[in-house]
Amino acid sequence: MRRLTDNWRSTTARLILIYGSFFALWGIVVIGLIHWQAASYLTRVSNELIGRQADYFSMLDEPTRRHALNDYVSLETRQLNAWGLFDAHGRPLAGTITALPPKVVVNGPVAIVPQGLKRNDGHAHVSVRAAAVRLEDGHILLVSRDTSIVDRIGTIILQALLWGMSLTVVPGLLGGWLLTRGPLRRVHAIREATLPIMRGDLAQRLPVSRRGDELDMLAGIVNAMLDEIERLLGEVKGVCDNIAHDLRTPLTRLRARIYRLQQQFDEDSSENATLEACLVDTDALLNRFRALLRISELENQQRRAGFDQVDLAEILREVHALYLPLAEDRGQQLELQLPSLPMIRADRHLLLEAFSNLVGNAIKFTPPGGRVVIRARAAEDGPWVDVCDSGPGIPVDQRVAVTRRFYRAESCRSTPGSGLGLSIVSAIARLHGYTLQIADSESGARLSLHCRDVASV
Amino acid sequence: MPRILVIEDDDVTAREIAAELASHGIETDRVADGREGLRRAADPCYDAITLDLMLPGLDGLSVVTQLRGQGIATPVLMISALSDVNERVRGLRAGGDDYLTKPFAPDEMVARVDVLLRRHRQQAQQTLLCVADLELDLVRHVVRRGDTQLSLLPTEFKLLEFLMRHAGQVLTRTMIFETVWGFHFDPGTNLIDVHIGRLRKKIDAAGCAPLIHTVRGSGYSLAQTD
Repeated sequence: MRRLTDNWRSTTARLILIYGSFFALWGIVVIGLIHWQAASYLTRVSNELIGRQADYFSMLDEPTRRHALNDYVSLETRQLNAWGLFDAHGRPLAGTITALPPKVVVNGPVAIVPQGLKRNDGHAHVSVRAAAVRLEDGHILLVSRDTSIVDRIGTIILQALLWGMSLTVVPGLLGGWLLTRGPLRRVHAIREATLPIMRGDLAQRLPVSRRGDELDMLAGIVNAMLDEIERLLGEVKGVCDNIAHDLRTPLTRLRARIYRLQQQFDEDSSENATLEACLVDTDALLNRFRALLRISELENQQRRAGFDQVDLAEILREVHALYLPLAEDRGQQLELQLPSLPMIRADRHLLLEAFSNLVGNAIKFTPPGGRVVIRARAAEDGPWVDVCDSGPGIPVDQRVAVTRRFYRAESCRSTPGSGLGLSIVSAIARLHGYTLQIADSESGARLSLHCRDVASV
Repeated sequence: MPRILVIEDDDVTAREIAAELASHGIETDRVADGREGLRRAADPCYDAITLDLMLPGLDGLSVVTQLRGQGIATPVLMISALSDVNERVRGLRAGGDDYLTKPFAPDEMVARVDVLLRRHRQQAQQTLLCVADLELDLVRHVVRRGDTQLSLLPTEFKLLEFLMRHAGQVLTRTMIFETVWGFHFDPGTNLIDVHIGRLRKKIDAAGCAPLIHTVRGSGYSLAQTD
């Protein structure tokens, strides 16, 4: 399933996040630096100005000072400047400032009064800088200037930072999310394409677009690898098949010679018995090669020429009738449980072969007195056929291996057989697009063939 | 003495077929080319033909198709390296009478040729088959051994019919499996033996002379022993 979080796991998303964080951090540093420099410059300028003005006022004589102070206030239309005259004890004498802030040292440096000054003209500026000088008559002159402009500039810079960030980060994230969707869609397409490959269909290849980007390069590499794997597997299989094919002819001749030789001896002679044993062994060899070639024939059979509407129930009845005497001879019960089944599209001969193998196997591995059940169940996506036995069962770790060529479970090495029966079944299942499931039954193994309607998939 | 035309391009196989048939008293002529084979096959002196499907000149399938087109009904045993059922079906549809996969056991080939030869000779559709005191009535679906009526299952009936139609001939397990059941795969186990065993128990009940015989290394034969 494709989830939203998948998008954020992609390389593009990660790059966008990393670059985004980096740029955000860098923006903060740059703007912080600007803010700091601007603030310190403005502060310095204000301090110098206030200091100089205080000195200037202190040097004037009384009437000129009063004029100058009034000009000082009225020239600044925004009421930034203010002053106050206090007696030696700090009682206000004139001006709009009515109290001496404790922070301001007389004849000291320019001080910041963040909470503002007490004034009688209704203007209460938040943050001011102020300087006090003692005049020659012992009075104290306090001049102040509103420096909240410095803070305001800081706020403007901070707001600019936030706006800039949000305008960068939000479309960036959105764009990034959109950008990752394309490649992810292709990754999903690749995953879809690998499913049949993982199921063993090595003829499939990953999709390659015309863009030739990283994903296509990767898909190209994987496809080249698949070509090579397919070639090697084909070679191995080919060698295997060739050996089987080439050995079959001399083996057939060998069998014919043994047979002719045997005919020359008396039926009860020891030579005849020995040659009979030779024939049995040769037949076993020939059967094995035949089964091996049969599998590769099935695997190479891509066309579905023999496909037709077939009656699955009829096939199961035939297989049941075919094996019933064998089961009875071995003292086993062979049951057939058939509900009404729809017709399916399949190759009748191949299905007969597959079910014969399954039932033959079940009978072979079930001890005398045991029970083998052929059970069909209808399902929406095609009927299931279970062949259950009361044999030793197939251990979980060997379930995949049993469908491989020649594989035989450790516990049944002593049972005669080629070990190719289930490989044939699984090759037939693959050809039909069916699935072969191996599981436990109540008392032994359960092999199920799901005759999935391929057209409905 | 029956005469058979062997159309086969592989020398070794051709020699094998000739030798095996000769040892059963059957005369053979060999042709290695499809076109030449078709020309010679029209000769009515042949009782049967073995035909390789992969031939130079004209392939086996075309040979048999043209042969049947000319109204020549000589039985044809097709021999092919292709064991696929669909190939077999195609071959039989084209007009072949039997199909054998290479490499084959010589006794299997001879048994099949034998069946073809006799089928050719007794064309008439019989409805009552008799071997010794065993009687099989195809119309009424009744089987009798002497005075006793035997009850056979449908498969057993078909099996017995096949054995009786070819009484005296060796029938291999594969032939039995292919004809009676119509299946073309290797049943693996001793499945046919079990079915024969059952039938034998019913036919050759205690006290009767056995009719079904095992031919060691080959198969079975139903015949009256003297």
